[in-house]
Amino acid sequence: MSYRERVAWLSLLTMLLTFGPYFTLVAIEFFPDAKLPDFFQLFCYGVTAVSQACLLGLGHLWLRRRFAQEAKAPLDELDLQIKQRALSIAYYVLMTGMIMVGVVMPFTEQGWKIVNSALFMIIVAEVVQQSMVVLGYRRVAS
Amino acid sequence: MSGTLTNQIRLLRFMRNEMSQAELGQQVGLTRQTIAAIEAGKYAPSLETAFRIAGVFELPLEQVFQWQPVTADGR
Repeated sequence: MSYRERVAWLSLLTMLLTFGPYFTLVAIEFFPDAKLPDFFQLFCYGVTAVSQACLLGLGHLWLRRRFAQEAKAPLDELDLQIKQRALSIAYYVLMTGMIMVGVVMPFTEQGWKIVNSALFMIIVAEVVQQSMVVLGYRRVAS
Repeated sequence: MSGTLTNQIRLLRFMRNEMSQAELGQQVGLTRQTIAAIEAGKYAPSLETAFRIAGVFELPLEQVFQWQPVTADGR
């Protein structure tokens, strides 16, 4: 498994471990008051985002130490091709999500529902991007 | 016109004192995984990279990479 694929797996796992529980709580309506500002919900989101950043940072540090040689190597043409394809697909996912959240949702929803939907679509786009990176490397792996 | 790109990289590496994929990758600016993908025919390199690989083996491009067109009857 290449270093870049490991990094993509790391991103996917950290998102699953942090934003997974957060959006599960949102889905089961754990936060009853959806009016802005709901500082408890804001605090929970903050904890989630900081946890994800910390896990990602620690994971990167570990990967860089464990695979020092590969980590130093610049992206080659295959890495760039996989990255470009993943980004272009994730871009359309993000655009679709933002149109839904920013243009359609304000007619029927308000407050934290819009905020959480926007955050969710960003995470979905990121998951799509990292998944496409993993799939790209899996496809060419021998 | 469809077809398949084949190559002799594995054989040529063997003939070059069993040069490793990592060594070849280092010489042409690719990772070991990318060389492995090219060898297995799962990734078609850019023209520039193909020339660089051929340059490492000091051979013309067509002796390293071959294009085999698929005819209308699928052969």
